[in-house]
Amino acid sequence: MEEEELPKQHYSETEKLNIFNHEFMPHVNAMYNFGYRLTLDSDDAKDLLQDTYLKAFRFIDSFQQGTNAKAWLFRILKNSFINDYRKKTKEPSKVDYQEVESYYNSEDVDRQITPDLRVEALKDMIGDEISNALNALDVDFRTVIILCDLEGFKYDEMAKILDIPIGTVRSRLHRARNLLKEKLSEYAKEMGYNNA
Amino acid sequence: MSTDQNNMKTDCANKGNCLEMLQLILDGEATPEQKANFKSHIDECLPCFKHYHFDQAIKELLKLKCSSQAPADLIESIRSKIKENTIS
Repeated sequence: MEEEELPKQHYSETEKLNIFNHEFMPHVNAMYNFGYRLTLDSDDAKDLLQDTYLKAFRFIDSFQQGTNAKAWLFRILKNSFINDYRKKTKEPSKVDYQEVESYYNSEDVDRQITPDLRVEALKDMIGDEISNALNALDVDFRTVIILCDLEGFKYDEMAKILDIPIGTVRSRLHRARNLLKEKLSEYAKEMGYNNA
Repeated sequence: MSTDQNNMKTDCANKGNCLEMLQLILDGEATPEQKANFKSHIDECLPCFKHYHFDQAIKELLKLKCSSQAPADLIESIRSKIKENTIS
């Protein structure tokens, strides 16, 4: 791990196991879910999760106790995904969005989908619609939604996990949510909510 | 929530800023002052009031519908691999 300038720790074997069991393993479900949502394949998610946890243990001296273990683990998983899996999948890594920070303006705002999709329609989406809509997003958009909405990471934590500026986190989230709403809006129409 | 929607404005003069603020608030990134300002704004602005509740509903739904559990055998296998690693 090209971890930051943090001084390396020198944990004893017992301390290592302790950290692993009490600080790393409690995040195993969230980590699995992240891996699954990235790879969209349960076997790949298993491999990714296992690799990540083994890596985390191997590099445990780069982890400083008392800091955010979940963010640290998520960053390793994300990096492993990019290095080992992303090239395997046929998913194009092209992202045709401009990473501009100030686009809460004109077209984007006017294009809000909300008017034809209301909370009532959402509440009827008891099946897999929202999950499918999320999975249908480009992986970079999917990722910010997972980190923010599912896992509750703060913007500065997301910036570190993803190695991008906070401004980019914000703009990407905004864009991702609009795309998600577009998908949901399509589902709502299929469900008969014409201009709900 | 004072929702006498009839007395609310039906158009927002400041959409761009409001959407940006809405995101900060939903994500817990707004200052207390920003929160207070936004709350009083949505008391009188119908589009922003709707956006707020809609986006909040999506956020809740995502959390509810898109989580999963790691398979038990996977957790077991991770634990035992770590054990092998430490015994050496």
